[in-house]
Amino acid sequence: MALDVREAPREGAGPAEPAPRPRREITTAFVVSRIAVLAVAAAILLYAVPPLAAAGSWVSLGLLCAVSALIAYLYLTRRFIPVKYLVPGTVFLLAFQVFPVVYTVTTAFTNFGDGHRGDKAAAITAIETGSVRQAPGSPEYSLTVALRGEELVFLLVDPATKQVSLGTADGLSRLDGAQVGVTGKVLSAPGLTVLKAPQAAARGPEVSALAVPTGDGLIKANGLSRAVEGKAALVYDAGCDCVRGEGDTWTADEGQGYFVNAKGEHLAQGWQVNVGLDNFSRVLTNPTISGYFAGVLGWNIFFALVSVLGTFGLGMSVALALHHPRMRGTRFYRIALILPYAMPAFAMLLVWRDMFNRDFGLINQLLGVNIDWLGELGTARFGVILVNLWLGFPYMFLVTTGALQAIPRELTEAAAIDGATPWRAFRRVTLPLLLVALTPLLISSFAYNFNNFNAIALTTDGGPFPAENPQVGGTDLLITYTFRLAFGAGGAQFGFAAAISVFIFTIVAVISAVAFRRTRKQEEIYA
Amino acid sequence: MRMRALGVAALATLAVAATACGSSQSAAPAAPSASASAPTAAAGGGTLVIWADPSRVQPLKPFADQFGTENGVTVEVKEISKDNQMTFLTASQQGSGPDIMIGAHDWIGNLVQNGAIDPVTLTEEQKAAFSPKAIQAVTFNGQIYGAPYAVENIALIRNTELAPDAPATIEDMIEKGTELKKDGKVKEVLCIPVGQKGDAFHVYPMFASGGGALFGATATGDPDPKQVLLGSPDSVKAFEKLKALGEKGDGALRTSLTNENYIVNFAGGKCAYLVSGPWAISEVKKGGITYDITAVPSFKDGKPATPFVGVQSFFVASKGKNKALAQEFVANYVTDKDVAKALYDADPRPPALTAALQEVQASDPDAAKFMEAGKDGMPMPAIPEMAAIWEPFGIAETAVVKGGDAAKAAAAAQKAIDGSLKN
Amino acid sequence: MRMTLRHVYVLIVCAFAVFPILFVLSAAINPMGTLASTDLLPTGASLNNFANLLTSDTYPFARWFFNSVFIALVSSFASLLLSMLAAYAFSRMRFAGRRVGLLALLLIQMFPQFLAIVTIFMIFTEVTELYPAFGFNTVWGLLLLYLGGALGVNTWLMKGFLDTVPKELDEAATVDGATHAQIFWRVIMPLVTPILAVTALLAFIGTMSEFLMANVFLRDPESKTLAVGMYGMIAGDHRNANFGMFAAATLITAVPTVGVFLWLQKYIVSGLTAGAVKG
Repeated sequence: MALDVREAPREGAGPAEPAPRPRREITTAFVVSRIAVLAVAAAILLYAVPPLAAAGSWVSLGLLCAVSALIAYLYLTRRFIPVKYLVPGTVFLLAFQVFPVVYTVTTAFTNFGDGHRGDKAAAITAIETGSVRQAPGSPEYSLTVALRGEELVFLLVDPATKQVSLGTADGLSRLDGAQVGVTGKVLSAPGLTVLKAPQAAARGPEVSALAVPTGDGLIKANGLSRAVEGKAALVYDAGCDCVRGEGDTWTADEGQGYFVNAKGEHLAQGWQVNVGLDNFSRVLTNPTISGYFAGVLGWNIFFALVSVLGTFGLGMSVALALHHPRMRGTRFYRIALILPYAMPAFAMLLVWRDMFNRDFGLINQLLGVNIDWLGELGTARFGVILVNLWLGFPYMFLVTTGALQAIPRELTEAAAIDGATPWRAFRRVTLPLLLVALTPLLISSFAYNFNNFNAIALTTDGGPFPAENPQVGGTDLLITYTFRLAFGAGGAQFGFAAAISVFIFTIVAVISAVAFRRTRKQEEIYA
Repeated sequence: MRMRALGVAALATLAVAATACGSSQSAAPAAPSASASAPTAAAGGGTLVIWADPSRVQPLKPFADQFGTENGVTVEVKEISKDNQMTFLTASQQGSGPDIMIGAHDWIGNLVQNGAIDPVTLTEEQKAAFSPKAIQAVTFNGQIYGAPYAVENIALIRNTELAPDAPATIEDMIEKGTELKKDGKVKEVLCIPVGQKGDAFHVYPMFASGGGALFGATATGDPDPKQVLLGSPDSVKAFEKLKALGEKGDGALRTSLTNENYIVNFAGGKCAYLVSGPWAISEVKKGGITYDITAVPSFKDGKPATPFVGVQSFFVASKGKNKALAQEFVANYVTDKDVAKALYDADPRPPALTAALQEVQASDPDAAKFMEAGKDGMPMPAIPEMAAIWEPFGIAETAVVKGGDAAKAAAAAQKAIDGSLKN
Repeated sequence: MRMTLRHVYVLIVCAFAVFPILFVLSAAINPMGTLASTDLLPTGASLNNFANLLTSDTYPFARWFFNSVFIALVSSFASLLLSMLAAYAFSRMRFAGRRVGLLALLLIQMFPQFLAIVTIFMIFTEVTELYPAFGFNTVWGLLLLYLGGALGVNTWLMKGFLDTVPKELDEAATVDGATHAQIFWRVIMPLVTPILAVTALLAFIGTMSEFLMANVFLRDPESKTLAVGMYGMIAGDHRNANFGMFAAATLITAVPTVGVFLWLQKYIVSGLTAGAVKG
């Protein structure tokens, strides 16, 4: 599609050349485009179907075919014109944005997080595996993997006695006549095919899976060259839905997703369970959240508003200053102005933080002062806003520059001829037209800054913190301080974080939706 | 012009179609072989995937390749730059994690509670080859969960031109540092990172020497998450000592000294003492400083200034696709002296294998000095609850360094930690 | 006089824009390589940091650079097309659910993306098994993922611009019997070059600095993008030792963006629409 961008200006570049006047053509283009659509659909199907069929995912396969058929139909018919334009982007949007968001929201009703990531079966496996200890006094066998026919077996050499045993799923038996090398590896054994290292490695999963039962334990491979007899200290009993061992019993508690004993202690490994609205009520009842909510929300809105208005004001004013036919050096200026945006933001946030350092920072040095910028509430807030202004204004500068090109110069010139001052012309003509194009961007920029995690996390990380409360800092946004609660302590609590996100999302969405309603009027007036 | 636009549109569409067809054509023959590829790959031995952080990928590669050749498998060393532990957990859970993960031993508690790693069985002989501290660190709930390869702890690095003698106490060190500052020979009394959010890791030896503690101990001597001691009277006293060293006191602890500038200040000769770890040495050498390494001193009549000890380890992922190989690699291959040495050469941190450490010592006395400085150190608690400590502790540190009330800061930290651990 | 005022104002803003970058430049040519120095003027000047960066074994910087530019170019062109198509429909057609669709597009952007990582892992674990060519550790998978965000803000941006292009133009074409596709390709596309150029640039920059997804996607040192690779340089304990190289890398990162800007600049300021309205 690169071609279009390059071709387009040349087409229209002729001075005052009228726009092309197309004629009705049900032409080759029409036919070709239809064929192309079919070809693409077929190609995607050809590529996508075989692996799905091989994996036996019939539901996905059905879905894929249905979607392909739908898309093919959509582009072959002459109806549903808007949908034709919307579908390509929407497919990706649904798969990679909408689906993740929806899924995240569903985790808000679970205890998904560290200690509760997997399902119960996985937790049981982990508990049992983690409790396997080497049977006291049992030898550390050196292991050779061999084949008995098609069956994978272990040849176990006791390092003390050099006695070779044959280990199979049925048990351990004595094996005579095997040739043992110096390293303890079996070189050959009657009736068995001894596998070399690469051959054994190739059967890795089988090697891990084989467990040779002994009196009261199991011999399992430990890597490919050693095997030990171990015994699980903790064993799950489906009958009582509990884990027994070490002289205690832990019973499954489906409310918490843990195995809990009589004393109320739980085993480390838990599983994911549905907790209903617990996460939401935690957000509402958590004293750290509710006690500071109003203050943080106020600062958060202020931060987002000032960031948007500041970046827009600065970006637009420079764009206007450069938007003059007799302005010289615009190319140079423009490059300088977009540089902040061209730098990796995370790097520059760190640079700014260091520039604000009291004793070693550039800013104090240049100004000849000794201010603890990020250590005091007022200056820290000023600092993060200044940094955000620096990072964000080039974006506004660029979009305003683009939008200004779309405003016919005649309009502003007409205003000037009518005797309007430049300020009035700007207020009456330029600004309203700019806002038609840019209001939605301002809204989305507000939403972005409302949740601007990085701008805070990489500069002040929420600080400065009052001595009496290490959890809510002076520059904390809702998202930074709630995520500190969800991820800082007690590991990652995804469910809780998702519930928090739902709340924050609701706040931003309401504000934005109200603002969005106002754009309807603009659209009708100027469109 | 119209024709050209038409041409462009048609070309573009065709190009899309062609690439799609192209990929489908190449995919069509590939597809049957894809279903057949599982056994073929297995015949070739499959792959072993290792995840590491950026600084360890290069040194591991040759050994990974050698292991691959010996066992007829492909070993891939992949690099994760950020949030390694969380990425590993998420990827593992979803089934696209590695077979082997490299990380610090204090991850173990969290990895175990998520069922993400398996115990590693080491023979008695192998265990004896490691420094006891390393084995202690990777032991969790009585099981060894990783093969240690490097042990690291912080120590006091001093500029021997400015301060020829190792200080016996923190007081001596402050006195000497202040004197040097007065004479204009240095700009800072002590280079230790504090920053706006504190640095619990670096300040811990001093805190411990002042009598402070994080957790009580269980019957078995492990840290007990049910007893958080940050707000205890002893810890308050320790915070008061830190306050005395802070900005309103001796000026040795300063929030303007951060993780970004403290080493460089020392390397630039702007302070005589640096509290840091083996990772600082390359920078210090670059600055041309003559230095010596000793243990962080303790307060006069104080408790020992025990640093945290961190142990870098190899973990076997529970949900790896090739666990037998992973076990083989971790238990029997990286416990090899040469591997430990190569990792040291790439990134000079004292090896956990005693034999490797001795070999390294001959050419580089620093490793042994760091080891010596950390001999009384405390392995960083591997319990998952430790995650709740770092930030409140750091913020309490900053509060007292700026001259805040020690009792209030300690109580606030205690409250925050108890709140998040639901004690 | 008025022009002078304009120049003075722009120069002040330029100074604000550039001075932190000068600081980075100073760190990059400072042999001691630190971002923590107080000085805007380096203590010495050398290009060692740049040389180390380009010859480093640990950090295949040239590869990162190439990867980033490639991904950013492909992704920005593809997302440009997708969002332009959607913007055209939103701006020029009236259909049921239009306002709702627009609002939904706006709102979906407001959900914190950070948590989506878990789901991304879920999706792409499946994809990696079925279609390795689009799975983890591939550029194509990452590109697919980026296309998910194509509609987001870009559609709004272009729709806003398109709303300012007089409707009479395409209405006239419709009367002449042109199909919607013809209007789109022949009437609208040529008219909106400045918009396309701005959006392309924004998409390019956005992809260049994208970090969260690229970090979990690209795991071979050679397959990384600049943002991910550079983050690795200062992650962990090595941050001090690498600051000089990091500063140099930061500067070089800006080069492709400035290059793309120079290339697109003439379209951005071509004032094309003004002429078209006249016609």
